[in-house]
Amino acid sequence: MSTKEPTEADILRPINTLTKKYFVLYGIATLALLVFLAGWAYQLQEGLVVTGLGDWGSGGGSTWGLYIGAFIWWVGVAHGGIILSAAVRLLGMDRYMPIARLAEMTTIGGLSAAGFYILVHMGRPDRMVTSVIGHYHITVNNSPLVWDVTVITAYFVLSATYLGLTLRYDVSRLRDQLPDRFEPIYKIMTLGYTKQEDEIIERMVWWLAAAVIIMAPLLLHGGVIPWLFALLPAMPAWTGGIQGPMFLSIALMSAIGGVTIISYAFRRAYDWDHIITDDIFRGLLLWLGFFTLLFLWFQLQFVLNGVFLGPNAKAVSAEAKLAHPLYQGAMFLIFSTLVYIFLQTIRPSLFSKKRALLASGIILTGTLTEKVLFVVEGFKHPVFDIYANTPGTYFPSLIEWASLAGTAGLVALLFLNLSKLVPVVELHAVEHMRGDHAHGDEATEPEVEA
Amino acid sequence: MSTDDESFHPLGNEWEGELESMLDDTEYDSQLGMDMARDAMRVTEGELSEAEFHEKYHDDVMEEFGEDERPTKEAYEKAQEETKGTVSRMLDKFDGDGEQTRREAMKKMGVGAAAVGVGAWGTVDDGPEASVAEGGHGGGTETHEHPDTQWGMTIDLERCDGCLTCMTACQQENDLDQGVNWMYVMAWEDRNHSSPDGGQGLVDSGAYTDFNMGSDFNMLVRPCQHCTDAPCEKVCPTTARHTRDKDGIVLTDYDVCIGCRYCQVACPYGVNYFQWEDPSVEYEDIDGLENPEDPDEITHAEYEHGERWVDSRAPRGVMSKCTFCPSMQDGKQGDEQVGTTACESACPPNAIQFGDVNDEKSDSYQHREHPVKSRAVAHLSGDHISSNRYVPGPETVNETLSESDDIESAIAALDAANESRTFDEEVLSMMKAIDIVSERLEPGDNKNTTMIQNERTILDSLDAIQGYVDLESEDALDTLNLDDGSEENARFQLQQYVGNPSSFNLLDHIGTNPNVTYLGAEPGSDAYQVDGPTKYEDAGLLDKRQEKLDDETVGHIDGVSL
Repeated sequence: MSTKEPTEADILRPINTLTKKYFVLYGIATLALLVFLAGWAYQLQEGLVVTGLGDWGSGGGSTWGLYIGAFIWWVGVAHGGIILSAAVRLLGMDRYMPIARLAEMTTIGGLSAAGFYILVHMGRPDRMVTSVIGHYHITVNNSPLVWDVTVITAYFVLSATYLGLTLRYDVSRLRDQLPDRFEPIYKIMTLGYTKQEDEIIERMVWWLAAAVIIMAPLLLHGGVIPWLFALLPAMPAWTGGIQGPMFLSIALMSAIGGVTIISYAFRRAYDWDHIITDDIFRGLLLWLGFFTLLFLWFQLQFVLNGVFLGPNAKAVSAEAKLAHPLYQGAMFLIFSTLVYIFLQTIRPSLFSKKRALLASGIILTGTLTEKVLFVVEGFKHPVFDIYANTPGTYFPSLIEWASLAGTAGLVALLFLNLSKLVPVVELHAVEHMRGDHAHGDEATEPEVEA
Repeated sequence: MSTDDESFHPLGNEWEGELESMLDDTEYDSQLGMDMARDAMRVTEGELSEAEFHEKYHDDVMEEFGEDERPTKEAYEKAQEETKGTVSRMLDKFDGDGEQTRREAMKKMGVGAAAVGVGAWGTVDDGPEASVAEGGHGGGTETHEHPDTQWGMTIDLERCDGCLTCMTACQQENDLDQGVNWMYVMAWEDRNHSSPDGGQGLVDSGAYTDFNMGSDFNMLVRPCQHCTDAPCEKVCPTTARHTRDKDGIVLTDYDVCIGCRYCQVACPYGVNYFQWEDPSVEYEDIDGLENPEDPDEITHAEYEHGERWVDSRAPRGVMSKCTFCPSMQDGKQGDEQVGTTACESACPPNAIQFGDVNDEKSDSYQHREHPVKSRAVAHLSGDHISSNRYVPGPETVNETLSESDDIESAIAALDAANESRTFDEEVLSMMKAIDIVSERLEPGDNKNTTMIQNERTILDSLDAIQGYVDLESEDALDTLNLDDGSEENARFQLQQYVGNPSSFNLLDHIGTNPNVTYLGAEPGSDAYQVDGPTKYEDAGLLDKRQEKLDDETVGHIDGVSL
């Protein structure tokens, strides 16, 4: 199979075909989204009382829960996605070029889901514009939540620009094979395009990638998002400098997991064995293993720091975290996955795409579980741990659970729609694989192989 | 002397730009400020008369600030004959009659306007360097006689008997839902402090001794701490959570809050309660005392300009917490309620002392700084059921005593003067000890000086007694156990009666600078809540709000929790 030459027709196939399976998938995704929208409508009507949330302290509840956990998880997926894509461009990891755009689209999808969660989480979402934007010049000096909204917005702009710029090249060259019904959209996308700009765009994209890579640890998932929690001294389950690296490792794990699943789906649906090759899955799996190792290392740092002679509050929270069955379960799954990944590097016959898919699914489940637990744990073991009703109880309501399916449906719909509009694999990648460069499938990366 | 012809300011464009951006940060019209400053410079250079300056800006100032306490042309011309006005004085007029606080004055002028105006004036005489320094404290200086008000509380945990009356009073005052316990009272234990088996009720467990201790339990009374460095305010993405300039209360603007609950997340004390559903009391049913038809009377607190909805229960979807009753502090519930809160007024043993924590005459200050004397005063003036002793008023003293009385006969006579209550050596000893340690502050017209007033009453009675009996003699002091009558001995004697509580701020190490100070034992880091003297349900209160919230949760499964 791998001897087959990738062609333009290959990457145009999603746009020019329409199958029954596509409709089924579209239907399921829409249904998932609609179910959640109905739940949200009910929540808007009745108030947030329909969730499992409550007041921490004397109230015996948890102030934030699945909504915020899933929010940071989606932001993580998004951040990881763009970092992946930026790394491909910046570090010349040509091997992954065919999935770079999928990673970028994952970012757009992840950010959309995260943005949606912000609205869903609010008591008064109708005031978002007047209250938040209206006082922005004051609050940006203090509130980590405002920094958060700022970097997510900045980041959405970066990602969208990035994607938009690289699409100009493809759309202008493949225009003749693209469906006419989207003509106005293509026109806007390629407004003022000339071949001379290719070189400039490439440079711009390089700089954007550089910005993303530099911002990632400092401001994005390694900075502002963990600060939302890590800077609050009253909740020992959240505080500490390790949260930045921890969040970043989770982001990258989740993104690689997500991109693996999406790549798998596209390869299967459109016979892209020769484009998204086995080699790419092997590489992704190794990277997944690498970031999983980092993640487990950071978890160890955090927990050990509390359980061995920690100050009271810190010790209590670390012990409670360690003792939580869901935490143990999540860590066990993640650790087992890591063991598998290492084993399959020693014995390559242990690798299969299905197993890579399974590993990705497990990692995504593990990180989501960890995120939701992380949020709730803060309220369970605060420094001021005097209340009889603390730790309180929290279990997500059906509406909260439905939000997971709803946002997954939202992201799936984004892919389903985008794949009918523009090529999800870069033309560059196809040109590259056709033999502008010799190594192609045999590309080796010292980092991965080591 | 200007560095740049285009800038009106002697320090040039850059400085001017900086000032302008400072003005932009205030809520007032930057352009007006800059224009006024520019013309103020012209006044100093003699291009514009001061009267013209006033005329020119009177309307604009009225529109922008709602008042112009600078003299109008007529008044000004009259005044000019008496004093030689300067630009600085004209600008100082924004300070009003001098009774306004610095914060208010700064607000009115806009910090930048003050800096621009005064800075501009200063340069004429002193050169640029001096003007910069001048600008720093223009528009109102630190030398005002009245410091800013900061409402706060001193809570005597050893006087608290855990009756939960304050919680009920708060709930009624603010029409709170069940489980929304803005004021929360709990009993606790830790490694070093145990408590009796709880839940039996006050009579079995409470045991008011004659002078001391509300209960055998270790109590904690937890309103919002109204922190000076409030973490909830710092994290708020909207400015809904804010500190009111005029009196330092931390409040939530119910019309701005988006319900993200980050304040609840950041508060280390857990004082926030979110309005998860429609509140049980309709807005129309919130009782405005002055005008029952208008709930705004009670819910809307006064600000320097206009009003904001910050008081009483929150509407659905926003955050709420203890407010220190701003409608009371604003005088909307009558002058007598200024400087009190619903919980303070309701507290039977007067364990809660609310007041301006910066005002040495206020109850909260007195109780914090002089806990022993204040406890004695509170006890002798209190109307608490268990305290059967009394202090006779000066009239009673004059009617009862005669010149021939000695200390013993005087005590006996005063004791006999009230059939149901006791007057004995201990009461007199305490009165005399209070006299010895007292600074004899005058209450003046300050708000919330009950403690000093009560002390005054006690001392008036003592003075009356001393008109008949010499309490300074060695024998008398000996009888009263005051030894040589020194302050040290007097304080020691008072401590024998009322104890000498240590004071603390809750979670001091977190750096919130709370404005609630506690007297009594501080819960250790391993402290945990235990059943207190009164059960929450017996007081009609709901402790664990989650029980109620769970009823509405879609797909709630009992007993399942993350």
